[in-house]
Amino acid sequence: MLRKGITESFGAAIHALNTTQLTDGVINRSKRMMLDTLGVGLLGTRTAVFNKALAYSQLFTSHESSSVWGKSEITLPPHYAAFVNGIAVHSMDFDDTWHPATHPSGAVLPALLALAETLPSQPSGLDLLLAFNVGIEVQGRLMRFSREAYNIPERFHPPSVVGVMGSAAASAKLLGLSPAQCTNALAIAASSAGAPLANAATQTKPLHIGNAARRGLEAAQLAQRGLEGNPAILDVNCGFGVYYKDYSPSAMAVSASSDFKWILEDQDVAFKRIPAHLGMHWVVDAALAARAKLENSVRNFDLSQIRHVTLRVPPSKYVDCPFPATEHQARHSFQFNASCALLDNKVTVSSFSEAQINRPALKELLSKVEVETPKDNLPSFDKMYCEVEMETDQGQRYVARCDTFYGHWRKPLSQKDLVEKFSVNASSVLCTEGVEGVIDVTGNIERVRECSILGSYLRMTSSQHEQLYSTRSL
Amino acid sequence: MSSKLQKTIRPVLAVRGLHKSAVEVLRRPAPEDTVTASFGKFISEVKPQHLSSVVLHRSKRMVLDSIGVGVIGSTTDVFELALQHCQHMYAPDDISSVYGRRGTRLSPTLAAFVNGVATHSMDFDDTWHPATHPSGAVLPAVLALSDMMSANSKPSGLDFLLAFNIGIEIQGRLMRFSNEAHNIPKRFHPPSVVGTMGSAAACARLLSLDPSQCSHALAIATSLSGAPMANAATQSKPLHIGNASRLGLEAALLASRGLEASSLVLDAVTGVAGFNAFYEDYVPQPLELSNDDGHMFLLEEQDMAFKRFPAHLGMHWVADAAASVHKILVGFGPGTVSPAQVQDILLRVPKSKYINRPFPDSEHEARHSFQFNACSALLDGEVTVQSFTPAALRRPDLLALLSRVRMEHPQDNPANFNSMYGEVQVTLVGGDILKGHCDTFYGHWRNPLTNESLRKKFRNNAGAVLPSEKVERLIDVVEELDRLGDCRALLSQLQ
Repeated sequence: MLRKGITESFGAAIHALNTTQLTDGVINRSKRMMLDTLGVGLLGTRTAVFNKALAYSQLFTSHESSSVWGKSEITLPPHYAAFVNGIAVHSMDFDDTWHPATHPSGAVLPALLALAETLPSQPSGLDLLLAFNVGIEVQGRLMRFSREAYNIPERFHPPSVVGVMGSAAASAKLLGLSPAQCTNALAIAASSAGAPLANAATQTKPLHIGNAARRGLEAAQLAQRGLEGNPAILDVNCGFGVYYKDYSPSAMAVSASSDFKWILEDQDVAFKRIPAHLGMHWVVDAALAARAKLENSVRNFDLSQIRHVTLRVPPSKYVDCPFPATEHQARHSFQFNASCALLDNKVTVSSFSEAQINRPALKELLSKVEVETPKDNLPSFDKMYCEVEMETDQGQRYVARCDTFYGHWRKPLSQKDLVEKFSVNASSVLCTEGVEGVIDVTGNIERVRECSILGSYLRMTSSQHEQLYSTRSL
Repeated sequence: MSSKLQKTIRPVLAVRGLHKSAVEVLRRPAPEDTVTASFGKFISEVKPQHLSSVVLHRSKRMVLDSIGVGVIGSTTDVFELALQHCQHMYAPDDISSVYGRRGTRLSPTLAAFVNGVATHSMDFDDTWHPATHPSGAVLPAVLALSDMMSANSKPSGLDFLLAFNIGIEIQGRLMRFSNEAHNIPKRFHPPSVVGTMGSAAACARLLSLDPSQCSHALAIATSLSGAPMANAATQSKPLHIGNASRLGLEAALLASRGLEASSLVLDAVTGVAGFNAFYEDYVPQPLELSNDDGHMFLLEEQDMAFKRFPAHLGMHWVADAAASVHKILVGFGPGTVSPAQVQDILLRVPKSKYINRPFPDSEHEARHSFQFNACSALLDGEVTVQSFTPAALRRPDLLALLSRVRMEHPQDNPANFNSMYGEVQVTLVGGDILKGHCDTFYGHWRNPLTNESLRKKFRNNAGAVLPSEKVERLIDVVEELDRLGDCRALLSQLQ
């Protein structure tokens, strides 16, 4: 029989949650997420997919428009600003990852910033922080409705399922919608959810996040105008349940006066050091460790001495790509990332350029790589490991295993390293004042009176850079 | 992967006993052999001469009906809401016409959106088998895109009609990939699954994209497909068609700018779902374009159902069955049917939760209620546009009848628009039992509306908004569509 009132409880909760319920722990973690998201988004504004989406989006104009990150002159209608900025965030697969698996921030922050710029009364930094956390929390709640969500996906790309719901919730919060309108926002958003996994590892994947941001915002605005959907959308199997094989929803209880236990407090996110699928981080750390072992024991180490490489990884078809042909495939290839690490002793942003992907030395190494999926290696970002074993011509074997890479929620990036990642990313686009401004504002967001100041820093490009980068696609 | 590399690898694989999944990955089919590529090729290369006279005739009927329901749909609340949303969020962009609103134009994807919403706003649009509402997802996008194309390169009427038919054909082909699609849906609302793909295909053709770009348009559209059934029978349902139209157009436009997506999206790849994410069973087939001048469009084998009143297709069976009981009752005594005569109403219908609503609360629910439509037809002898007004929904006579309805779901009545029936059994107060049974309602593909009836429906619909000269001109223009040198004659009559 139908469980009653779960959707309504979400609508009520979105409406009721207030800034006093934000704990220090959650504020701290979510500020880190915002900073990281802005950094990867700024870097992402120099990608081919972003440029295509931007050119397309410029077909549209509006009276109120919102900033495009990393562009001093261009603005777009809010939906399309959310769209392109969301695409930028996910364009290089460099954005945050949670457990159960999704990329939570990219679906929410672009929508909120775009929306904030158009509101007649400017929201404060704390309002923004609250709305952001509402968007993250709703995603976390929804993923806990099924066992399927806990494993690396096979059918629907999670950001396209829960991301649009998070964006709708966050936007509804910032708009100050009533409980009923919040409920409708979720219902309307559900009809925009669900993109199949096959487009992961292609140029279209970043659009999953861009569209989640855009259409969640749209759902909230349609709800504000009175559009109604199914008020039991989360309750019924033929509602949100269609995206999962097993589905068991539960209500979200919030009392405006008492403490609230945010999921983010219990479960941190992972930040990436490499612009590639999260699974790659394990195999890279293992490959680097195995390489170090080899280097330490063999004088005059030379890669041509490697006869064979075995990777022991969890089973996941869409990141099993022996010979990637594009940057998108390369970011989703255990084989490529391991080989890169072995060859160059590092994997960075520039490892995925076309020239780098097509290096003969790399291709030769790739031909020696074999993948195994041991039974004890579970396709879950909470449980998986990667092992890299090299065998030399001499018959020597060097093995290393990574259970928890640096940046994983069990071993989080230090604040220093997180800010460093942001600075490197943002400096490719913004001038120093802009870079430092964003760090400063996000670091103190809960004290900022008008969050629009963030937008102005995001537009402080180094003009030389803008000219330079606009004429070539990365 | 070069063949040289392939040769080096094969012996190595044999020696190492490579894990099975990696071997399967290496054995990926050549790009040209995929189902996805065959669809892209078809969209790009099928020719106007492949349209038979039957397909031309049937598709023109669909275009006419779709415009009519779209125009009357422009009088609904949900349409107004969608239009205001677009006008508020975006600056005026005088490109593509909005149905029934003189002087109102929006940018192409937004026009496709609102016109799509209008088309499905009253659930009055065409229905096919396997089940979907094919035209509303395609026509608004093709119209909007035609408006966008420059004055000296507007499509001819035949190009327009070909693009439209491609959009319909692609939908039909995709639905035949699964058994699930043959029954009344339970999980995803079909127009949101195949409609987006049809729109993308039609627009890709109109944009003259090459085969690879057409494939990418489909793949990009796949990531924009799929809305759950739960929003059917709510005010959001029409947006499924509006969004299908809009997002399919968007996918084609993005593909024309070089955006790429999965080249295996329609093929069934284990462990990585593509289009098959929306179905529990899925067996794709390539779409072959035969070398001679013939291609059998599905529309030739499987005609369309047009609705006589604005409600879910299933309602038409019970309405026809109940109407025949009404006729008998009225024959007995005074000219109207009164609840006082009726003791019990038994409906024998297929089992389908989302059209089983004993006491519908809104017009949207009423359009998806066996009980409501049976009782309306029993009372009035027919169901019309007027049967769903707020006043009509609250009629005491109707509510009295509703409280006397029971449902049965016989084993021999499957939830399938090709095989279902509707039976209405009324037990009178005196004890007499009257029965009405309908296997094929008038308007179903087995008993299609005559051209006369179709035009009458169109006149009633379009005439509610447009002046009669425009109404008549539209009838003429659509009739001549395949012979028109320039589709502007059609584009200029919609508002």
